[in-house]
Amino acid sequence: MSAAISVRNLRKVYGSKAAVDGLDLEVPRGCFFGFLGPNGAGKTTTIRMLMGLAPPTSGSIELLGLPMPEHALEVKGKIGLVPDESLLFDHLTGPEFTEFVGRMYGLDRTVARERGQELLELFELSSEPRKLIGDYSKGMRKRIAMAAALIHRPELFLLDEPFEGVDAVGARLMKEILLEQVRRGATMFLTSHVLEVVERLCDRVAIIQQGKLVLDSTMAELRSSSETLEDIFVRAVGAERPAETLDWL
Amino acid sequence: MWAQWRSTRNRFPRANQAGVAFTGIMGLIWYGVFTYLAVVAAFLLSSPAELPTLRQVAPGALLLCFLYWQLIPVLTASMGSSLDIRKLLVYPVPRGSLFWVEVALRISTSIEMLLLLVGSGIGLAINPSVPIWAPLALMPFVVINLLLSAGVRDLLVRLLARKRVREVVVLLLVLCAALPQTLLLSGSRGRLRQFFSSAPVPALPWNATAELSFGEFSWFSAATLLVWMAAAYFFSRWQFERGLNFDRGEASGRTTSARAANRLEWWYRLPSVLLRDPLGALVEKELRFLSRTPRFRLVFTMGFSFGLLIWLPMAFGRVATRHSPLADNYLALVSVYALLILSDTLFWNCFGFDRGAVQLYLSAPLKFSVVLAGKNLAAVFFVALEVSAIALVCALLRLPLPAIKSLEAIAITFVVMLFILSIGNLSSVYNPRAVDPSKSFRTAASARTQAMLMLAFPVALIPVALAFLARFAFDSEWAFFGALAGGGALGATVYFYSLGSAVRASEQRREEIIVALSRGDGPIAS
Repeated sequence: MSAAISVRNLRKVYGSKAAVDGLDLEVPRGCFFGFLGPNGAGKTTTIRMLMGLAPPTSGSIELLGLPMPEHALEVKGKIGLVPDESLLFDHLTGPEFTEFVGRMYGLDRTVARERGQELLELFELSSEPRKLIGDYSKGMRKRIAMAAALIHRPELFLLDEPFEGVDAVGARLMKEILLEQVRRGATMFLTSHVLEVVERLCDRVAIIQQGKLVLDSTMAELRSSSETLEDIFVRAVGAERPAETLDWL
Repeated sequence: MWAQWRSTRNRFPRANQAGVAFTGIMGLIWYGVFTYLAVVAAFLLSSPAELPTLRQVAPGALLLCFLYWQLIPVLTASMGSSLDIRKLLVYPVPRGSLFWVEVALRISTSIEMLLLLVGSGIGLAINPSVPIWAPLALMPFVVINLLLSAGVRDLLVRLLARKRVREVVVLLLVLCAALPQTLLLSGSRGRLRQFFSSAPVPALPWNATAELSFGEFSWFSAATLLVWMAAAYFFSRWQFERGLNFDRGEASGRTTSARAANRLEWWYRLPSVLLRDPLGALVEKELRFLSRTPRFRLVFTMGFSFGLLIWLPMAFGRVATRHSPLADNYLALVSVYALLILSDTLFWNCFGFDRGAVQLYLSAPLKFSVVLAGKNLAAVFFVALEVSAIALVCALLRLPLPAIKSLEAIAITFVVMLFILSIGNLSSVYNPRAVDPSKSFRTAASARTQAMLMLAFPVALIPVALAFLARFAFDSEWAFFGALAGGGALGATVYFYSLGSAVRASEQRREEIIVALSRGDGPIAS
């Protein structure tokens, strides 16, 4: 069976700066893949290219065995996206939004509405059905975004910092739901700055630094070493210098 | 002020160069006209021979200047640059400083009047028969206007954040705007003439300013300006402080009751009955979203009420005959006018309210042409609703509008809309910008909108003008509708061609579109 994500020599250049520089990546199906890197390393740019939101300067992308962008429409229908910047419509209510997204992904209106209701209950968002998304807290916004991403039962999830701003209870709920999706055969491509989360959820990890892949390994291999994921991460991105101090501070 | 300047300055190299050049050229034309008028004012006021005549008209001219300064930003729902003061409250900046910055930023809403006043001041300064101190009297007038407009802005921002109060305020504003011509055209002309030709009331700022700036010093006029300045200061400072304590979320009370929501559900679901998904879902989403957006609700109410009230006295007032061209084409005129008012929210920048959520359209498995078509159909829905509301009011007022005229109005609006949609789709893709849907007033300078109106509308109106010409030449309704049908066919061709171009542009520019629409509001607006 083909890989869920297969990326060859992917490059994205802005002006004279390469945000992603010759990236090669293979994510097997059914894998919970952690994609790590410091701020500005190229994680979000990579996700945007995978999603077809940003065209690559060069290189090739295959998602679920289909080349992009040639099969973009077919592939998009099988992907669930939770981006870093919310793609929510502030003046819709939670049920309206999930139903809308479901219908955008080709679900029948009744099915989209029913699934939306169930997802809202699952994510504990059903108590105020008439509340506009614009009035949601940050954690609630993340939860509704994930609920909407699940509505069409995607085979591949692209998750950009999905737990940012979510409280412990909400984060736990979201993690359990994602793990359940992996158990049923879906693939997760997760970026997060919270290494503990990655350590707990992922079975494979890659680290990107200045657009280049500096580490690609299974979690089992990493766990066999004496170092923590944080130590490995810091060493991989070359940030092992001691913290500087300012005279006036 | 530095941050405001830098925000504006930094935006230009990063913005779409064609858009910047276009805005720049239109700004030059718009402000160039006022600069020219300022030069004319300076030239006239520098001549001692013209002074007695100009002294007579000066109070009226200053009153118009005052009204333009205070009303135009309100009527165009464009309040210029402004600070989001509450985001700046975390810094140790005295409130007084923030207040004066806010007042200074009011200059951005009425550069036109400042140009005219500067021109007038220069003219008076070089006039040998006017004392050297006299032009300085224009300065308190400027200060009064700046303070008042700051206070009015703060007051309106608070009022328009409140559901339902917003609609009432807009109707009141419309009534105020329509009042002068209603009085002029409905038999009160004599009384108005008497009012303006009688000795001016010296306690009003425009009269006191006129007196002093022409060198006629009186302690009463000087005291009048001081009192007005003090009153304007206290009013705007009071409104400013109230604005700081204002809770927008609490005021908007955005959770609708179950009853109200159910009442509107059939209207929201209507597109899904008529159209298949994803088009039905897209149009339904637009109806739900726009119906709840304060900015859209404001322009929709304005589009419906402004046209009716402003053109009504002209078309059917005592002075106008009931068979004037204005009365004959009243419904068409008001409908096209409504189209014009709605254009900023429905056509020119149709992804503006979606902001970062535009990513959903680009990441979902649907063609971008379907997304644009959904936006356009929603626009057609709202325009149809607007025109129906106007027609209903006309019927209730028992205005002489035969069926043929209603048909004519619908046909004209449809043809004009085809061209506006064509230009709007391209503009939405090439020059997208994020718009906060919860703010009733936009902050963008008026030049860009003026520019779109100046260029796009005359082009869109050409087929209609040709249809009227055909009717005049052949003296036949058939000729009129034939020419209009030709215009419609051309409009449809242009629409489909521009839709294709917009889709191709969106493929190439999707990154720029997302970046432009994801730009959030900071404390400083640019």
